[in-house]
Amino acid sequence: MADPFNGPPVELINVEKRFGSLTVLNNVSLQIPPGQTTAIIGPSGTGKSVLLKHIVGLIAPDAGEVRVFGTDMGRASEAERYRVRKRLGMLFQDGALFDSMPVGENIEFPLLQHRRDMTAAQRRDRVAEVLQMVELPGIEQRAVASLSGGQRKRVGLARAIVHSPEMVLFDEPNSGLDPMTSDAIDQLIGHLKQTLGITFIVITHDIVSTVQIADRVAMLYQGKLVAWGTVQEVVRSENEVVRRFFARNVQVEGEGWRLPGV
Amino acid sequence: MITLIRAIGQFGLFFGSLVGAMLRYGVPLRRITEESYRIGIQSLPVLLTINIFIGSILTIQGYISFGPLGARHLIGMFVALAGVREAAPLLAATMIAAKAGTEMASQIAVMNTREQIDALEVMAVNPYAFLVGPRLLGILLVMPALTTLAILTTVASGWAVATFQLGLDGQQFLALVAQTVTGRDLLISECKALGFGTLICLVSTWCGFRAPRGPEGVGQATNAAVVISSILCVSLNFLITQVFYG
Repeated sequence: MADPFNGPPVELINVEKRFGSLTVLNNVSLQIPPGQTTAIIGPSGTGKSVLLKHIVGLIAPDAGEVRVFGTDMGRASEAERYRVRKRLGMLFQDGALFDSMPVGENIEFPLLQHRRDMTAAQRRDRVAEVLQMVELPGIEQRAVASLSGGQRKRVGLARAIVHSPEMVLFDEPNSGLDPMTSDAIDQLIGHLKQTLGITFIVITHDIVSTVQIADRVAMLYQGKLVAWGTVQEVVRSENEVVRRFFARNVQVEGEGWRLPGV
Repeated sequence: MITLIRAIGQFGLFFGSLVGAMLRYGVPLRRITEESYRIGIQSLPVLLTINIFIGSILTIQGYISFGPLGARHLIGMFVALAGVREAAPLLAATMIAAKAGTEMASQIAVMNTREQIDALEVMAVNPYAFLVGPRLLGILLVMPALTTLAILTTVASGWAVATFQLGLDGQQFLALVAQTVTGRDLLISECKALGFGTLICLVSTWCGFRAPRGPEGVGQATNAAVVISSILCVSLNFLITQVFYG
């Protein structure tokens, strides 16, 4: 187990990223607080997924620093990056499950790779436990191809938490799901947050989901951070772009706000 | 030209990263045996079928060519020279490129499209060591065996056609094959097989990794894998023939 890190689990310092002439991230600075759920929101194509890939070290910034548990992911060696990644879990948009393995082997995979101290029986028990947590008990033998979109997300989430990470990242957890399944995934994320008490970072453009699961919200627009604060603070932002983004789904009333129909 | 130089450079970097990753992270024995089994079993039927016909074709062509010269007894030598030294190992390689190589390229390209390679990275698993290492060692394990089977099938089918269709002396046919093919020839064929296997695996997996995401990228990777690895195998075959027989 790595030494506990007391600072912010993720710290972005003046991060810049360009693809050709297109500036995707423009001087973004942000500190993700520990033990909370932070939603990174914004319209499509505004740099949210690129930001997430910076955090896990799949992309290096052109300028600035991306510090995860104190490690500068853009300049770290492969071994250092891998050390940090063992402390993370990530749910990919479509689950990114391995088609060649049944559900149980998919979830067991991180344990098999990095937890040599665990016996096969202990791994099996842990897989059963996390499947129970994502409300899909007993499906270890199912083929990945037979899972629905919502089930794939849940199995992906089970794989992301099976090794007891200190932080979990979610890339568009509601994308491609019907409203009911989407709501169920939000409830599951909320429940896991309470059960596990770890840091969650959620990339989404789903406003309803954001206000239901997030403690804090960062909004990106055209590569810039245009809002950062609690849900209450961001919903009531004076920034025109932020107001327009929330206007369709959130009604500001007096000192508070509400979701019509929710 | 610049594209070609860039591609060669990228391939070199890929190879360097692969070797580094295999040395650093190792390759699980279980996955090597799985890949060996899969490559061997997958390629065997098509490889045997092709070589049955190659042995038969060479024998018939030899009969047509040597017959008028009154040298039908030399057909065994012709099958040994053309089949055992050249055609059998090379056709075995192109069949393995078409069967196992395309599967390697498409599997990795699909994994890339579905973010499964990113998922490996995020789970702190090196994709080169995990995906390419077992395939490379697996193909190196089975290539000599597959090539030996290809050679035996070519000779056996040639013998069958010579004996049962053309009415030639089967024993004389086999005796000439045995006289013509030396241990050195077989050793060169097995070395070729190892070279072909390395090329097929590296080129196919590299094509898979560099494919653009999406269905079109998968098609491009598969196509490029079989074309490039076949051309490189033929070129390597020519080079070896030049060095050892030229």
